Amino acid sequence: MKAVLLLALKSAWARRLTLGITLVAIALAAALLLAVERVRHDARASFAQSIAGVDLVVGARTGSVQLMLYAVFHSGAATNNIRWDSYAAIASHPAVAWAVPLSLGDSHRGFPVLGTTPAYFDHVRYADGRPLAFAAGRAFAGDIDGVFETVVGSEVARELGYRVGDRVVVTHGMAELGPEHADKPFAVVGVLAPTGTPADRTVHVSLEAIAAIHLDWAGGAPLPGLRIPAAQARKFDLAPREITAALVGLKNRADVFRLQRHINAYRGEPLLAALPGVALDELWQTLAMVEKTLFALSVLVVLVGLAGLTATMLAGLDQRRRELAILRALGAGPREIFLMLIAEGLLVTALGVLAGCGLLAAGILGFAPLVQAQYGIHLAWRAPSGNEIALLASILATGLAASLVPGWRAWRMSLADGLTPRN
Amino acid sequence: MKRTILFVALLCAVPAFAQHKHVHGEGRLDVAIDKDSLALNLELPLDAAVGFERAPKNDKEKAALAAAARVLDAVPFAPGAAARCSLQSKEVRMPFAGGADRHDHAHEGEDHHADIEASYLFRCADPAALKSVETTLFKDFKRLYRLETRRAGPAGQGAARLTPNKPVLNW
Repeated sequence: MKAVLLLALKSAWARRLTLGITLVAIALAAALLLAVERVRHDARASFAQSIAGVDLVVGARTGSVQLMLYAVFHSGAATNNIRWDSYAAIASHPAVAWAVPLSLGDSHRGFPVLGTTPAYFDHVRYADGRPLAFAAGRAFAGDIDGVFETVVGSEVARELGYRVGDRVVVTHGMAELGPEHADKPFAVVGVLAPTGTPADRTVHVSLEAIAAIHLDWAGGAPLPGLRIPAAQARKFDLAPREITAALVGLKNRADVFRLQRHINAYRGEPLLAALPGVALDELWQTLAMVEKTLFALSVLVVLVGLAGLTATMLAGLDQRRRELAILRALGAGPREIFLMLIAEGLLVTALGVLAGCGLLAAGILGFAPLVQAQYGIHLAWRAPSGNEIALLASILATGLAASLVPGWRAWRMSLADGLTPRN
Repeated sequence: MKRTILFVALLCAVPAFAQHKHVHGEGRLDVAIDKDSLALNLELPLDAAVGFERAPKNDKEKAALAAAARVLDAVPFAPGAAARCSLQSKEVRMPFAGGADRHDHAHEGEDHHADIEASYLFRCADPAALKSVETTLFKDFKRLYRLETRRAGPAGQGAARLTPNKPVLNW
């Protein structure tokens, strides 16, 4: 048995170029299959992480998925603003434990700027209920002295090299080169610890700051001839009139459906209260078809790779007639020849799968920052999960099945066939 | 990906603010869990239960309404046994139950639609073990094709679709 395996190994090494190319194909296919599974899983996990502890997201009337994507993930189309008094009415509802207003629309070098209150840092939870923590500094003060203070997320600090005490200038709108609120710079007073949620990529300022930087603006541009310096801006009424959305936590979770109906029927203006977890599931339900298609395609790619293995080995058999015949003449039975070919197929598949895992790891390490930046999906390298191990095992099993065909052919080849080739 | 998400988001921009979505064959179930209480809130188009959405015209239709009411009175939901939940209270509101003149005014303006509303409140001895709720509604109401559920509880929120082949809500 050992001799058979050794022979198989040496024979395979002699044909390393063709088998190597097959191996690369299998590795790429395995990596693709694993990547599809991994991205699907991690996308769900990182989206779900970001909404822990929030019972309702309230905003202007759109779709619940759209509202949730914009308010929580700062991605997608902006919704209309809602009035401050609507927010105040919801925040003072007896069933509401806490409410945090959110104001979006400006950016800082590609990172969204979020106007909120210091309560945001107390109430927003991530993962399994962990509160936001400060890696350095503190929350901005919610009063008039803290108007031009900002707290940046860990990614913002890392990418732009910000530390507590630095000054930053906010850009109007989401364009990276949009008009700047250069006359009113912000002082970084806090840096958040990494969370793997959109908070990492957000610049947090107070609601009053959002009002202050737009004091001398109208219609999306600075008013010509009107300059209100930062020091004087504090003298204006900076009470927010509008916000983009609000996060709401309830005293009793069971009230959530009742309060949702109440908010949706609010008479002051058309509001939408969305259950973020429900909206996420609705999104996944609609995406399920896309996911299944991607998965089916990558399974197909694996099958193509393994079919390549079968083809390569079958083609090899013709060239190996003499080799196999000599082995037979030296005393190897058809069983040993069969085992040799199976061993070769399994070896190539196993190496391919291993290389696929390596490719996946390299891909995750290489692309994780980009994926995090573009899509807010936190990809992390970790050992294959149960699901992924099952996928790898099924690739191996299919590889075994794929090498049965050449094995069977070799078994059937007679001794004489190899020793007296017709061609 | 982002574009796909946005596109899909547009596609599934279900007007969640519509107070009364009414789709024949589709019921809605809200599941709220807090501490040891489990509240189930069911909305069914009357059509799914009895096959018509108007006041009963004859004895047969009256009997169908009564039969549907009996099904809902018998609590067609079973929380996972491990949590040892027991029913505390229930409320079943059948339209047209008292004859044609007691028309359910909540649905005025919806002309030819009528909904059954039912709510059930359970108390569970071991709420940490509560991981599922099974419904027998599909066995009794053959015209009910799916139940869109929304859930809020200590395990977070979620949405799921129950069908005759998958009558158990897990989380």
